[in-house]
Amino acid sequence: MAVTAKAFQLWRSRIAPQDTLTDLCRIAGIKRSTLAQQLVRGKVSVPTVVAVARGYGEPPVGALARFEGFEDLQRGTTLPTDAELVSQVSHTDILRLLVARSEDRECTCTDVQLRLAPFPHRNSVRAWIEAIDPGDLRQQLALSTGVARQNLSAQLTAGRLAPEIAVQAARIAGVSLTSGLVVTGLLTQAEGGWPEDGRARALCALSDLDLVFLGRDRLDVLGKQLRRAELDDGKDRAMWENLG
Amino acid sequence: MTTTTIQWVALGLCAAGAAVRVPGARKGHGRTVFVALVLLTLAVGLSITPIYEAVDGLVGAVNIANLLLRLTLYTVFVLLGVRMAAAFGSSLARRLIVGPFGVAVLAVTVAATLYFFVASELPGSSTALRAFEDQDTVQQYAAVGRLYPGYVAGCLVVPAIASALDRGARTIHRVACALLAGGFSLVVVFVLLRLTALDLMAWDYILPFSAILLTVLGLCLIWLSHTLGRRRRTNANRLA
Repeated sequence: MAVTAKAFQLWRSRIAPQDTLTDLCRIAGIKRSTLAQQLVRGKVSVPTVVAVARGYGEPPVGALARFEGFEDLQRGTTLPTDAELVSQVSHTDILRLLVARSEDRECTCTDVQLRLAPFPHRNSVRAWIEAIDPGDLRQQLALSTGVARQNLSAQLTAGRLAPEIAVQAARIAGVSLTSGLVVTGLLTQAEGGWPEDGRARALCALSDLDLVFLGRDRLDVLGKQLRRAELDDGKDRAMWENLG
Repeated sequence: MTTTTIQWVALGLCAAGAAVRVPGARKGHGRTVFVALVLLTLAVGLSITPIYEAVDGLVGAVNIANLLLRLTLYTVFVLLGVRMAAAFGSSLARRLIVGPFGVAVLAVTVAATLYFFVASELPGSSTALRAFEDQDTVQQYAAVGRLYPGYVAGCLVVPAIASALDRGARTIHRVACALLAGGFSLVVVFVLLRLTALDLMAWDYILPFSAILLTVLGLCLIWLSHTLGRRRRTNANRLA
């Protein structure tokens, strides 16, 4: 979940030798109490490191690479694959493109012209994991990080993934190591080395057939989520109406 | 904790559990559980000596109050049993409680209770009929009075545990269901232990009143979750 407080202090004395902790928090735009608490606990969270790096104009990837567990981050940054790019397009945008094609009015392929919603979208993390999965990613991830599979599933369902796990997933799948940090919203596209308009280009490059099946798969996921949500609602209502 | 303390605590909790539901009940929400809690408060009150003697004195000091306590308790178990079976989504438990078999069990219980009460010699108020414990019919009367709650609790234990283990459910509901499951289990354990020859001593009070405490706490949690849920009901767009 984090880097050690010792390593953080060492790093901050290098990038901001003159600044007090209060200055640092002001420049990074984080709460002082949050950082103080993290330092006391001996672990500073990755989002804090990223915020501080941004505040001081350091590239967050380079900054993270100075910490244990992230050393290979910068070296391992490449272009995202098309599958990863497409995974970050929301289902509504996919369906809109499908409709546009059916009406012969697909225009040029930039994020802006396709009016792609910014990501991460609701299912970003799970969609990304599925896009990079060579077959047994979840199992390998559980083995190599020591995080139980149930816990991994819970994180994916909640649309979260701890930074270390996201990087490890990319290592296992052999994709750009920053991708997981981009799809969890920790890094911006530019910081993570994702090309601007990359999503739109990858989406437009899909054949009609692939687009239709992609849409179907996304609707399938959505349908399952809705069914689950309605089931849970029904249970809540049964509990409330009968015993509440 | 002395046995009387736990009785008074249970009385207070039942009364509080019923009191917080008054506004809802006036608007028509959760009337069944409200009535059940009021009756449970009455039943718990009648198991405490000073209250019992006062009430029984009003109705002739021949322990009619004890009969009232038994019948109240049966009603509480029927009402709560039906509602809980529905809340846990267990149609089997519902059928076992208010299906033909359940109704037959209840009818036999009520008939046996009335019969053993009439057949006993009960001059003078005595809480839980302790002064007449040497009479065979009084022992039967007490045994019947435990078996029906034990039966209903037994029907609800498994669905309650299943609801507590449901990973998809809200945490507050899982905790509430765990409390309810704990309460029902205690009732079952208590009834089973009383079937043996063991002398339960203080546990004779601790087990059933702990069961009441757990059950009412569970109901209060669900009430709380409902109240909070009503307040911040948002219709999130799930298609977006």
